[in-house]
Parts: sequence; C-alpha cells; structure tokens
Amino acid sequence: MKRIFIDPAKCDGCKSCTLACMESHRQDGGHGLYTLDLTDPANQSRNRILSDGQGGYSPIFCRHCDDPDCVRTCMSGALVKNEATGLVDYDAEKCAACFMCVMACRYGVPAVSPDRKRMVKCDFCQHLEEGPACVRACPKKAIEVREV
Amino acid sequence: MERFVIIGAGAAGISAARVLRDFRPNDVITVISTDETVHSRCMLHKFLGHERDAQGINFAGVKFFEKNDIIHIACQTVHKIDTAEKKVLFGEGYSAPYDKLLIATGAGFFIPPIPHFREAPNVFGFRDLSDALKIDEAFAKGKRVFIVGSGLVGLDAASALCQRGAEVTIAEMAPRVMPLQTDDYAAGVYQRAFEDHGCKFLLGIGASDAVVDGEGNITEVILSTGEHVPCDFIIMAAGVRPRIQLALDSGIAAERAITVDDHLRTSAPDVYAAGDCTGLSGVWPDAMDQGKAAARNMAGVDEVYPKPYPFKNTSNFFGVTMLSVGRLDLTEGADILVHKTPTEYKKAIVKDGKLTGYLSLGDISNLGLYLHLIRDSIDVSGKLDKIFRLTFADFYGINERNGEFAYRAK
Repeated sequence: MKRIFIDPAKCDGCKSCTLACMESHRQDGGHGLYTLDLTDPANQSRNRILSDGQGGYSPIFCRHCDDPDCVRTCMSGALVKNEATGLVDYDAEKCAACFMCVMACRYGVPAVSPDRKRMVKCDFCQHLEEGPACVRACPKKAIEVREV
Repeated sequence: MERFVIIGAGAAGISAARVLRDFRPNDVITVISTDETVHSRCMLHKFLGHERDAQGINFAGVKFFEKNDIIHIACQTVHKIDTAEKKVLFGEGYSAPYDKLLIATGAGFFIPPIPHFREAPNVFGFRDLSDALKIDEAFAKGKRVFIVGSGLVGLDAASALCQRGAEVTIAEMAPRVMPLQTDDYAAGVYQRAFEDHGCKFLLGIGASDAVVDGEGNITEVILSTGEHVPCDFIIMAAGVRPRIQLALDSGIAAERAITVDDHLRTSAPDVYAAGDCTGLSGVWPDAMDQGKAAARNMAGVDEVYPKPYPFKNTSNFFGVTMLSVGRLDLTEGADILVHKTPTEYKKAIVKDGKLTGYLSLGDISNLGLYLHLIRDSIDVSGKLDKIFRLTFADFYGINERNGEFAYRAK
C-alpha cells in the first residue's frame, strides 16, 4: 500500500498542502486558488499543519492506519480498510453520522462536516489520476507518497 | 478442516466471522442468528425514522455471507450447547457440530418489575430489528408513546418517532437526560432540543403501575407521583442484561454475564464468548474488538484481550453533537475545568495530572485524542492551561519504519 510519509523537519508551515486539499475537494465546480472560498466551512481541509510549540510544525495527515481506530469503531460499515489499496475508504451514503470515528481516532484526524451529516477525512485524492494534491503542492518535499 | 460456529450476527459475531475467514480461507464457518438479516443496532433509529430500510442499516455490507463463503442460518434460536458432543441444538431437532464455538448472543432489554409491564403486549424493547418492526406496527395504530429511560437508546427511539409526528413522553429516574454521558448543562441543551421537537420529559420520575385494557395492553402509565399518563404503547430503554440463558442451560459458567478469561474462553472447552453477553462492555467498538480477539484465539493465535475502557460515546441528535469520554461524575479530589462560549461547552476532569473525564458539546472535530489521553492515563500536568486546545501536535511522533503516527511523551 501507499502512504504519505511526513518529514516534519522539512515543513516550514506554508500550508500549500492545506490549500491544495481544499481546492481538490471543493464542491462549487470552480478551479484555481483565486476563486477558492477560504472562509466557507464546506471547503474544509482534511490535513492540518499545527505548531509544535518550538518554532517548528507538526503536520497532521490521515495515516490510513494498518489497524485503523476509525474502522474498528464504525457501526454502519461506512468506513472500510480497502485490502487492495490499503486505504481507509469512506462511503458517505452508508454513514449514520454517529461520529464514533471522530472519538476513536487517537490522532484526532476525522472532522465533522458543517451540516453534521458526515465525517470528513483524507481520501488520498482517489479522484485525481496524479495522486494526492497536497503532496504535489508541497514546495519542501516534506510529504511524499511512498510504498509501505 | 475445522468447523467454526458463531451464535449471533451482531457486532461481535460478524467481526469474528470476518476475521475467521481471513485466517482460515478453507474451513467451514457457520453463523446462526435469531435475526433474519444483519443489522446495526446503533442505526435502528434510522430504520424506525423511515430514513433507511433494513438493507440500509446492514453494517456488514451487501451479500456478506455469500462473498465470504459463510453459512448463515437465519431466524433460528440456539436452545442448547452440547459441550460434551460439541454441537449446538437449534430449531426443532436440528444440530450443528463444531470444533470451535463462539457465543455472541448480545444483551436483551430489561423490563423492571413494574405491575403489568412484563406481560403487556404493547411494551417493546428497542434492541433488534424485530423490535423496531413491532414499534412501527404499533405506531400505525397510535401515536402516543411512553418511553422509559432517557439514555442513548431511549433518545434514539424518541428522535426517530418525533420526526414522524409522535407524541413522546420520556420518563427518567435520574434528574437529567442521558445521565451517564452528560452533566447538568449538556443535558439541558439536549432536553431543550428534544422539547423543541415536541418531546415531553418527566425527570426524577419513574413508572410505578399501569392501567390495562381487556387484552392486557397498557393504556395509562401511573407515575411514582400518582399522575396518570395515557399512551398507546411503551418503549423500554431502562438498561439491558447480557443474554446468558443459553450458557446457563448448557452448563457454561455465568453470573450476571458469561464468564470469560483473558482469551475470551468460557468454562467449556473450545467455547468462546464475545460482545455484550460477556458483560465486559456495552459499546459497539468494544464488541467489534472482542469478536476479533476471540476469532484470533479460535484460529490458534494466542492473543490476550485487554480489559476494555467502556466509558466513551458520541451523540448526535437534531444536529447537536457531543463527545463524552471517561467519568464526569467522579470529581472527588479532582480539578473541574470548564470552557463555555455561545456555541461550545467543554468540561475536563483532571486528577493527579491525568485526565479522567472529558465532555465536548458543539463541534467535536479532531477530538479523538482525548479518549486516548484518558484510556492510557497520559500525563497532561504541564498542559492544563490549554487543556481544551490539545491536539496530537502536543504528543507528536512518527514511526519511521512504516510512516504511521505514534505518541511521544513531551
């Protein structure tokens, strides 16, 4: 399986990955950062770049864990560890919006959508042939896709 | 070739079946269930609220048994386990031999000994799809519902029926709603949300008797205050009891729940138990984990099942979301920290530098680490000033080998 590897020492907190994630998942049909509404909660990013409190950064990206807390706790079958790709796939149609996944993820990755009807997390940009938008946007190569 | 039999198709049973198939691609796996179809009991309110059909609350996925080559014997109740001959007896004279057996019979709703309640045909539980079907049928005849208990099950039923125009009255013995998950403030927020949708609450009040018609149906509930509340039917949501009758009838050790060791083995050889029937926990993720651990042991992996941490839940009613982990009621010798804004309410209980309880009402995004901090007693003594703003960045570590995250003490 593939995973986005993180080298926090290389991250300079520019948040290009965050913008790329928002752009990749925007629902308004537009393209390009100039028209991306950064204040619309519907465009929320699935990754977060947080301060490490010592002048550096702690990038938080879904790990698509080998033994995912979120999948183990899902009571609707909406979250599934895809054995073929290794990714944790989410089916919003099946989701019951109970948010047990939000509670269970020890790294605090899953978020709640603004309408509180689904969870929001990294989908590895499976809709993009070229792979995760965040990785391509990083100017420091602090995140890269590697085979595990 | 080994024969694996699983009794029950709930969270523990299905998770065990999935893991067994993974470990044993060629062995025979049989699931026997009273239920006709697999369903998530945590989603029954979606069915009762007519948001989903039975397939829509199937958590195992379409054609789970066919896809995994598992035999499913549906609508059959196992009435005895012959532990000497190693076979289970079900239906009228049927039996299924096993080499390894898993009991995952769950828990059943409990009716307190209130006069008429145990016999009345219009008193229902809200645990299985069959219960939801019965309620649906009763609701077609009368819209006045009396719910006993305001825990998650009672409120699930109430929210579903409110949306369909029921007149719901909920009696709760405790002085607030969802007493296990809330404090007074959070309970008040939920209570108002339900009242805005037409529910009526009777707090600190129990049902003590009933008026019945000629067929034994309860037409009025008599409260502990003496007041009479007319109703068309009743939903019991005042707790559950592990289903242990099968174990008792089969000579398998059980007290309040089926007795299991740290490998989830029962007192009978090659018989395991997992999920609510073990009494170890009553929440979905723990049942899933127990099913998995039992299955791994059944498949020959030597795996200790760690004691679960059952105090955890999330709720989402009418768009009001809450996360509640740990014990909010154990405050002796602890610091109680509160953060309140017009849209958020958060409370942390801290004792000896460790979090022991955490509640967040409002946006609960990214808060999963709080369960981990409580469950693993992680030291937060240097972080009390930002206890409501903790993120994984405060504990950030990376497993260099596989790129996963790991907690690192800072």
